[in-house]
Amino acid sequence: MIGFLHPWVLAGLAAASIPVLLHLLARREPPTVVFPAVRYLITTTQEHQRRLKLQNLLLLLLRTLLVVALVLAAAGPTMPLRGVAGHAASALVLIVDNSPSSGVVVSGTARLAQLQIAARAVLGHATPADALWLVSADGIPRRGDPTALAEQVGRLTVSPQRLDLGQAVRLARDVLASESRPGEIVLLSDLQASAVSPAEVTTPLLVGRSTVSSPPNTGIGRLELGPQPWSSDGGRITVALVGDSGPPVPLSASIGNRPARQALVRVGGAASINLPAVPSGWWPVRVQLDPDELRLDDGRVGVVRVAPVARVTWDPQDRFIAAACQVLQANRRLARGDEITLGRLGRGVSIVLPPADPAELGALNRALGARGVSWTFGSLIVTPAATDSGGILGRARVLRRYQLRPAASGRTGVLATVAGSPWLVRSGDVLLLGSRLEPTWTDLPISAGFMPFIDVLLNRLARGELTITSGAPGDAMDLPDLVTGVRQGDREWRVEGGGRYRPSDLGAYYLLAGTDTVGALSVNPDPRESLLAPASESEIRKLWKGARVVELPEVGELAFSSASRGDLRGALLWSALVLGLLELGMASGWRRAQ
Amino acid sequence: MNRPAGPPRRARLDLLDPLEVSKLGGIEVVTEGVVEGFLSGLHRSPRRGFSVEFAEHRMYQPGDELRYVDWKILGRNDRLYVKQFEEETNLRAMVVCDVSRSMAWTGSPDTILPKLGYAQRLIAALSLVLLRQRDATGLIVFDDEVRAVVPPRARLSHWRQLLHTLAELEAGAGTAAEPALRRVVDQLRRRGLVVFVSDLLLDRTLALKALRFLRHRGHQVLVLHIMDPGEVTLVGPAEARFEDPETRAAVVLRPRDWAGAYRETVRSVVGEWRLACRRHGIKYHRVTTDTPFGMVLREALAPGSRPG
Repeated sequence: MIGFLHPWVLAGLAAASIPVLLHLLARREPPTVVFPAVRYLITTTQEHQRRLKLQNLLLLLLRTLLVVALVLAAAGPTMPLRGVAGHAASALVLIVDNSPSSGVVVSGTARLAQLQIAARAVLGHATPADALWLVSADGIPRRGDPTALAEQVGRLTVSPQRLDLGQAVRLARDVLASESRPGEIVLLSDLQASAVSPAEVTTPLLVGRSTVSSPPNTGIGRLELGPQPWSSDGGRITVALVGDSGPPVPLSASIGNRPARQALVRVGGAASINLPAVPSGWWPVRVQLDPDELRLDDGRVGVVRVAPVARVTWDPQDRFIAAACQVLQANRRLARGDEITLGRLGRGVSIVLPPADPAELGALNRALGARGVSWTFGSLIVTPAATDSGGILGRARVLRRYQLRPAASGRTGVLATVAGSPWLVRSGDVLLLGSRLEPTWTDLPISAGFMPFIDVLLNRLARGELTITSGAPGDAMDLPDLVTGVRQGDREWRVEGGGRYRPSDLGAYYLLAGTDTVGALSVNPDPRESLLAPASESEIRKLWKGARVVELPEVGELAFSSASRGDLRGALLWSALVLGLLELGMASGWRRAQ
Repeated sequence: MNRPAGPPRRARLDLLDPLEVSKLGGIEVVTEGVVEGFLSGLHRSPRRGFSVEFAEHRMYQPGDELRYVDWKILGRNDRLYVKQFEEETNLRAMVVCDVSRSMAWTGSPDTILPKLGYAQRLIAALSLVLLRQRDATGLIVFDDEVRAVVPPRARLSHWRQLLHTLAELEAGAGTAAEPALRRVVDQLRRRGLVVFVSDLLLDRTLALKALRFLRHRGHQVLVLHIMDPGEVTLVGPAEARFEDPETRAAVVLRPRDWAGAYRETVRSVVGEWRLACRRHGIKYHRVTTDTPFGMVLREALAPGSRPG
């Protein structure tokens, strides 16, 4: 983009209209001259009119261009120019993609090391007058001077967080939006095809890519731990591999410190592995591949809860509940006992459903109040709605429900909602469900999700245990209301229940409610990071219009090119001289010819 | 009768600037002076083409060639007579003069005669020369129609009538030469000389057709193309609207830009006239109004101009 040292001089461009104005003024009605040989004049003009008109237009154009060139030269124009030493003060966002895929070792060197060398080369061309930001996989733009940012680049390690490159470009663009200096974005990445997403490029974007192709890679894409809690008999896990296809690879899986179990798995396929019995408690499950060039995706972790099956009392008259419990009992997911009362308020842990007879509701609410339960049943709502999707159950139609009213301020203990209103809540050792588990109240009893729901309800929720979730580093995960802390190994963070938590590292996280462990998070790399195939140059240009894609070693030299500005005054003055000489030569030449 | 005054006594009026000569007096006086000068100059340029068939004697006049002096009569009665021959005495000439409005124009009124003024004096001088040679001379005047016809007569006194007609000439309207040229046929029964005096700002095709017709009838045809110097070289203000006085056609241009091209056009037009005339045996002279009359007379009365 052309800039001017003295932009106010551009007002003089109005002078470019002088030749045209003179031409128009000269077109006023000329004096009449009586001349008998007009026929000769007409013959002459008919023969030469077009040529003379062209000559006049050319002269007019030359004179106008001459004025424009002189005015522009006086305004001191500069423009981005390659090969010009130094650059004007500019704003640059340097994106270094240290996502898990950057940890791949190519030709004996980690890809990240190549990116760091290129990043330092870019920063080496920066001046103190430049505004610089560094964006890495954590997605936080950090501003600093060239020295400080070079140190940060040197400290970068392979991050477990995935970096969406399109999102990073948009972030950089937003950072530069408020800058008055000419802006530029430099992106250094392995350009994984799965990480390249569309972005509108309004700022010069320089993309540095490695020319050395990535080696074949195999990673663990998925680890499924099955229904929880596991019984003391052990459990079964399912592992799926992603990456470049090849022969089956050995995989080991272990729970706690028990001996690992081995299996051969092919990329694209899945393997089921039985793990041995362990005592009750929270146990990490680890699966591991033999090391390859990308280590970060060779292992994956999960968390299982091992506990004895719930001992439940239920009313055989509740047909659907009874049927479900019998099936679960047959599958050793529960046993008869008095640990949990299902359907009514019992002495211990109780899962209370609204009574079939509305007349009994008042007595039930009073009993709940006497028990210290902070929730009561309210008015009956007969408007059909659906449960809101969550970790406990999916969407199920609810035809009738009682409004669940918190007795005190706040509404802690909400486990599931219908149309945003509490539907399943817990207060102490009592769980309240807003609808009876019958088809006239909800579709849940006749849906496929009914059995897993009863299982979760009895074995986990009734015991105060919450859902076990998984995600990738940097993902925002909702924390249950009662969670007060998060622990990973020896590290522990105080958190506020109901908020969101973003784990930054890989591994198993345990959710704490006071001193009790009430849930777990398993954090693993995004499986897309295992796909190292880069996006093609044409794809990049298609998604990021105007981007320049160069090889990593060239990035340093080409950075700040949008701010490398050449002085155009000389060229314009030469142009003016040439135009002037041309005008003089043409005008006098044609006059002589006439 | 007014006598020429101003130029040196020995100066030949036929070689002076036409405007200067015209200031010396009326057409008659000026023309006589021009003719006197012209004829005196002929002594040094023997004429050819005379027929050998004797017709009559006449008194010697200054300018007559000595070889035609009849020495026998000089010996008998000491008087100078010259012999005249049949063809010479029987020549009938018609001058066709264009008096269209364009003929009244001059590019420099202070220094150049209008084309019509120049033509008047030139025709007067030419007629006088012809009449002194006992050539019958007539005159047809036209603009967009025939304005006047003076039948050819050989008497010297006929010149007065021609002068009278010439003196009354005024610029007319448009130009239509063909009818006038065709009228010549009525006046010249035998082969004769037709002198067409015009600025030729007319329909060339029609004019040439009429001139060819005259040639076909055996007449010697001489075209005197009268041009003002201002018509040869285009000059004027920086930009002007040039208007034809006859047709009112106009064109706006800058003379400085067009001078060269215009000069080429004039050269081309003159060339085309000359070529067309030569092709049909017509003698063509371009005459600018600053050319001394004597030079034009010499061209017009050169041997090739006479029918033969």
